[in-house]
Amino acid sequence: MDRLIAANYMLNTRRGRIFIENLTAYIFLAPAGCLILLFGLFPVAFAFFVSLHRWRRFPDEYVGLANYEKALGNLGYILFFWLALIGCAATLMLSRRLLRRLRETKLDGQAAALLAGIVSGYAVLLAIDWFFKLIPVIMLIPRQVRGRNTSLALFMEKFGESFLSPGVYEAGSLLIVGLLAAIVIVSVVLRRLGAGVGGEVIVLSAIVTALLLASVFLLRLTIHETELAIAEARGAGESLPIWSQLVFISAGIALIAGAYVIFQRGIKALENRRFALLSLSGLSLAVGGYLLMAEAPAALTAGDDDLLQGFWVTIMYASGTVPVQLTIGLLLAYLLFQPIRFRAFFRMVYFIPYITPFVATSIVFRIIFDAGQYAPANRMLTLVGIEPQRWILERTTLGNLLGLPDFLAGPALALVVIMIYSTWTYIGYDAVIFLAGLGNIPGELYEAARIDGASGWRIFRHITLPLLSPTVFFLSLVAIIGTFQAFTQIWILRTGAVGNKVNTASVYIFDELQNSNRYGYASSMAFVLFALILLLTLFQNRIMGRRVFYG
Amino acid sequence: MASAEFSPLGRQKAPTEGPSKPLDWRRLAIYAVLFAGVLIAVGPFLWMISASFMTLSEVNLTRLLPEKLLWENYATALRRANFLDIELVTDPSSGVLQSFGVSGYIWNSVRITLITVVGSLLVCIPAAYAFARMKFIGRNFIFALFLSTMMIPGIVMLIPHLLTVIWLGRLSESIFGPAGAWFNNWPALTIPFFASVFNIFLLRQFFLQIPDDLWEAARIDGAGHPRFLISVVLPLSKAPIMTIVTLGFIGSWNALMWPLLVTINDDWRPIAVGLSNFVTADTPGDLNLQMAASVITVMPILVLYFIAQKQFTEGIAQTGIKS
Repeated sequence: MDRLIAANYMLNTRRGRIFIENLTAYIFLAPAGCLILLFGLFPVAFAFFVSLHRWRRFPDEYVGLANYEKALGNLGYILFFWLALIGCAATLMLSRRLLRRLRETKLDGQAAALLAGIVSGYAVLLAIDWFFKLIPVIMLIPRQVRGRNTSLALFMEKFGESFLSPGVYEAGSLLIVGLLAAIVIVSVVLRRLGAGVGGEVIVLSAIVTALLLASVFLLRLTIHETELAIAEARGAGESLPIWSQLVFISAGIALIAGAYVIFQRGIKALENRRFALLSLSGLSLAVGGYLLMAEAPAALTAGDDDLLQGFWVTIMYASGTVPVQLTIGLLLAYLLFQPIRFRAFFRMVYFIPYITPFVATSIVFRIIFDAGQYAPANRMLTLVGIEPQRWILERTTLGNLLGLPDFLAGPALALVVIMIYSTWTYIGYDAVIFLAGLGNIPGELYEAARIDGASGWRIFRHITLPLLSPTVFFLSLVAIIGTFQAFTQIWILRTGAVGNKVNTASVYIFDELQNSNRYGYASSMAFVLFALILLLTLFQNRIMGRRVFYG
Repeated sequence: MASAEFSPLGRQKAPTEGPSKPLDWRRLAIYAVLFAGVLIAVGPFLWMISASFMTLSEVNLTRLLPEKLLWENYATALRRANFLDIELVTDPSSGVLQSFGVSGYIWNSVRITLITVVGSLLVCIPAAYAFARMKFIGRNFIFALFLSTMMIPGIVMLIPHLLTVIWLGRLSESIFGPAGAWFNNWPALTIPFFASVFNIFLLRQFFLQIPDDLWEAARIDGAGHPRFLISVVLPLSKAPIMTIVTLGFIGSWNALMWPLLVTINDDWRPIAVGLSNFVTADTPGDLNLQMAASVITVMPILVLYFIAQKQFTEGIAQTGIKS
């Protein structure tokens, strides 16, 4: 009884209430947190891990970067070099921040705090190491228990055994030692220095340690793999110029980036220096572009042609749909924003293509753009006096059909159909969101402009468009990522006759996964795609983000 | 003078500038463009519906309207595409219903949708509440971590999801027997979608707007967080919950890529996969039946859209702008 009262008292103090609130919050979060960990965060690390292996349903041998080489040729190695270098650069930046922090605080026992951070950073790496040694063993359990009389006891027995298997056991014991050391040192340091500053130093130095070790590991792995590949090629009597390609391609990209920076300076510079800067920028661009054009194709020759074709299809797909759908969407939204009747009706109708199942609407388009002479699209063509086309069965490119030279070939006609389809679906979505954006622009601005005598176009150009730029930015990002993820419409609208002419990179990866079960290879391609999307997002943030005006 | 310009009356007049002739032309042009847009947006649907009543040769010749409405196309499509099969066993002597079995893709999709939406609400509501209205260590960090998963493209997750599902399925099979399988069963199709970061974000934004006075009052009355959530917050949150239900419904009704990977037979295969298989399997098949099957697939979503239009448009537009 007394104890109960004591407990009740404890929970009613301020500390007790905070404790209870924390506990409740974690209980509230637990289901979502576990699921996101399992199906959101863990898969990324896991996919990377899988991509370093030969892996068909069940883990097989470790193959290093071979999957990446198979996908991208020598460029695979080069990408890993860049990744490692980015890691090193990030380490450098963080450690500078750490040093500044140390100088500012001038605490006693900084060395102890640093040590605590280093030990805990190392412990984190040990945990990762242990985890990824454990995972393949655990993943094999289903195969071991298959066919036998599966029971929980058997499963648990195998599960327990996997912790003791060679490699895992050693890593596990190391992890326990590391964790214990980290906990002891951190708690001692925190008690001495207080949680505020000491905690920050510990966290920062832990991150620096982990990042540094990881980047060094990645760098060593890449160098090792590269040398292995070169030695293998030499054994076969060939030469593999990865190093020179690395240097030339990196230099090319650095020159192009430099050209951009100089160009930015140049347009702001004074008259007398502007010409020099701009021509320097042009020169840098030309040299960089030449280096890339000369070296990149050679680096890619050993890559997977279907994957490269997939990237090319994705690029054409994005550049053919995104600007068109944004322009038409904006136009419709602008018209809808005028004082008109039935606005709600129009908005409702325009949204329909976006919300209806893509499978069903793709099937309609499949029939509309059928190759038959009397199919709807061909009917319309005949009405205006153009020859019927083979549409979804046509692998000839649009440019070739129009009689343009080969370098203007463009997408295959079958891909054009898919592009028309996805423009059709997304216009309404874009228009509705643009409409919301237009509604957010304060009316006084229009009024002021009108009093100043601005015409309709000038109002649009100088008020509407700048104030709408966040929406444009958002929608273009969504649309580009959407093209990378497009699946349903291609799945339905592609035909055997067009081969890989309409497969975007993700569709190709999916095919590879479903038909040949090569999980490791598919993972590596998915990672390349991920890196590309990430890069594109960053790039767009930087280039377009600068022009975006947040009112 | 100046005050007249800024009066509400003057403001209303500004866009129209009186009923002069050239402006009427302008409005006419606007309506013409907008109606052309309507035609393009719904044209394919109208033809889809029309074609679903035609004979095959009428579809092949692209007639605009069928000569006779062939309702039996729908019955044939339902059966041929294995969309819905209701089996009623009645006692031959008394006519009393003995057993009742439903199968087919529509039934599968309905089941999957229900499980996904309910599970998602159960998982996301407490999490969103914790982020919006509770203070705990690491709140911003965990929230940022959750949000960062939205950036990762689906194709990267596909393979680890598959491996995880296979493994967890084996585990649950060893506990629950064959019924506990994940692969080619409902857990693989629903559980990975329970913890939707998008839903958590949507709900959190709404929960943040609930005034603090309500919480203070509830606390004085002795209610804790769980009680407050159930009896005050939830009744207020019908709008975002409806949005989540509708979006979840669309999501699982449309799902194609993931179900293609994790189903191997028709036990749990959802409607999008069923329709896709039906169409790609018979080319150049019975286009009129394909159209009928497509209409059947589209209809539930369209009906839902007309009923809950506000949730659809505003839900998507709002979250679009905000994220």
